[in-house]
Amino acid sequence: MFSFKLGLKNLTRQKRRNALTILVIAFAFFSYLLMDSLMNGMEEMSFENIKNYDTGNIQVTYPEYWEDREKLPLENLIYLNQDMEESIKDTDGLLGVSPELRFKANLNNGIDEVAVMGMGISIEQYNEVFATQNYVVEGSMFAPGESKAVIGVSLAELMDLKVNDYITLLVRTKEDTFNTIDVEIAGLIRAPNPMINNGIVFVPLDVAQQALNVGKGVSLLALKTVSGDEDTATKALTDSFKNKDMDLKAYSWKESAASVIALSVAKKGGIGAILSIVLLIGMLGIINNVILSALERTEEIGMMKALGMREWEIVFVFMVEATGIGILGGLAGCLIGYAGVSGLVKYGYGLGYIGGDGSAYGIPILDRMYGTWNYPAFGFLFVLGVIVALLSSILPAYWAAHKDPVKAIYHR
Amino acid sequence: MALLELNKVKKIYQQGKIEVPALRGIDLTVEQGEFTTIFGPSGSGKTTLLNMIGCLDTPTEGEIRLNDKKVSDLSRKELAMTRRYNIGFVFQSYNLIPVLTAYENVEFAIRLTDHTSESQMKEKVLKMLAEVGLKGLESRRPNELSGGEKQRVAIARALVKEPKLVLADEPTANLDSETAAGVVDIMRKMNKELNTTFIFSTHDPMVMKYANRFINLKDGMISADERRG
Ligand SMILES: Nc1ncnc2c1ncn2[C@@H]1O[C@H](COP(=O)(O)OP(=O)(O)OP(=O)(O)O)[C@@H](O)[C@H]1O
Ligand SMILES: [Mg+2]
Repeated sequence: MFSFKLGLKNLTRQKRRNALTILVIAFAFFSYLLMDSLMNGMEEMSFENIKNYDTGNIQVTYPEYWEDREKLPLENLIYLNQDMEESIKDTDGLLGVSPELRFKANLNNGIDEVAVMGMGISIEQYNEVFATQNYVVEGSMFAPGESKAVIGVSLAELMDLKVNDYITLLVRTKEDTFNTIDVEIAGLIRAPNPMINNGIVFVPLDVAQQALNVGKGVSLLALKTVSGDEDTATKALTDSFKNKDMDLKAYSWKESAASVIALSVAKKGGIGAILSIVLLIGMLGIINNVILSALERTEEIGMMKALGMREWEIVFVFMVEATGIGILGGLAGCLIGYAGVSGLVKYGYGLGYIGGDGSAYGIPILDRMYGTWNYPAFGFLFVLGVIVALLSSILPAYWAAHKDPVKAIYHR
Repeated sequence: MALLELNKVKKIYQQGKIEVPALRGIDLTVEQGEFTTIFGPSGSGKTTLLNMIGCLDTPTEGEIRLNDKKVSDLSRKELAMTRRYNIGFVFQSYNLIPVLTAYENVEFAIRLTDHTSESQMKEKVLKMLAEVGLKGLESRRPNELSGGEKQRVAIARALVKEPKLVLADEPTANLDSETAAGVVDIMRKMNKELNTTFIFSTHDPMVMKYANRFINLKDGMISADERRG
């Protein structure tokens, strides 16, 4: 088709301006792809960090506890019995079970006091579910039977504590009387999830149970599964509990952290906002380009009308040109985006640039975010970009084609 | 039935608060096959009149009939189609498309109208270019052509679709007398063979030599209208 050919040939006019528009679109695409990669990477890492250092893949507890879990209550605790253990044992794909007793406490170093979350764990079982032990930076995790504590480096720094120092945890028992846990610090951890480093004190489960006077009660069981098996295992467990008339329920990690949801919402919102900006930039670039071209080619457009071209045929010529710019800009953007994302996936992005660890922003990532590959985003953005380029050319092109031919030809 | 009829056509341009009358009541009938020149001093309204006849501009007053149809009754689409199929324009400024070669600039016009085979179309374009003396320059772009050569491309573009009516605004103004004669020859031939109607505005006595009708325009009015056999 001749108009098509003409549109393409017009692309070679005003090379510098077209190149600039292409560059602007490419840069906008590049920024989007980078942000998309980073945000997806952040989400993925956050989820990993939540799973691996906070919740496990699945948490089993009573619905009543679940509802109040943020308040760390000592009510509705689990007292393990044979039925429960069987249900868990009979579920396929479970790699570990860690009973936890979570409680409110005040950490005292002899001078200052700070509110923390106490975490009674059975160390061997805990290590089967969580990877925290790999991040002990000083000392070690406490050994089974040892009555010691492990805290995060940030908390240690805040409270001026070192390995082998003694700390006191002030707690309220189930009966609302005060009690203390006096332990020596066995190790300091610096886990990838900064939430762990900032406010948790790990102590042996039996020590916690005794101090809180809850017998053999635990808040919940954290379970590890192969990644991706959470949902089937969660359902199997819940069914199994129901069959045995137990009130216990299994919750996939996805349901457990409010931050998970907040993160996803933030991600979607963030990506959406950037996408709108990127498309707006592309749109303005194209509109600007078409208007300038149309102004330059006024006489030519008038001549086309004199030759008997219909307005939409003239619009079509501009649309081909604009779409061409969109395609070139999109391709260039995807290309440099590919390079940028490769870098992000490989080398990551230091959170130091935005001022310290992610916990300040509610992101459970310590110091370096990595991008992930989101290939559909490339295709999606490219197609969307081309469509936007095409659509945004219509109005200015129509404006140009609609001009009075006499005025156009004689430039009056 | 006349090809073209103008009835008390007036055109008044509004320049701010001042009214500039460009045409002040033109009555004119042109038959199919006439070879007409319009001459007159600069500013007498030649271009304005040609634009009016070519359905590019609308009169302030009066009526134009083309092919026995009132131009003012035609829709935008019908106007475009009239220009596409029935009228060939040659402008004072050539208005070629700079990214297209001479060949493509001419091809452009025929693509809009001709739906015959590719080879026939190609043949027509090449023949037309040869006739205006541009053989061998087909693949040059406008910026690689002289003013006269550009003018000839513009003429070829207007003639290639073999329209009923050709309107040309000083078509030979940029041509040397020899080339001008050649171009007018082609037009004359088309006029004879295809009974194509030509309306020129010109100062060129050479062009006038070929014409069989002379219209003198003065201050937006026809002051003389002579036919010659
Ligand atoms: N858009 C316009 N606005 C105001 N006045 C105009 C406009 N177009 C033409 N005119 C005036 O109308 C008159 C006729 O103009 P036109 O261009 O038809 O003259 P012309 O005979 O073609 O002259 P030339 O031989 O110089 O080309 C002139 O006085 C001109 O100044
Ligand atoms: Mg003129």
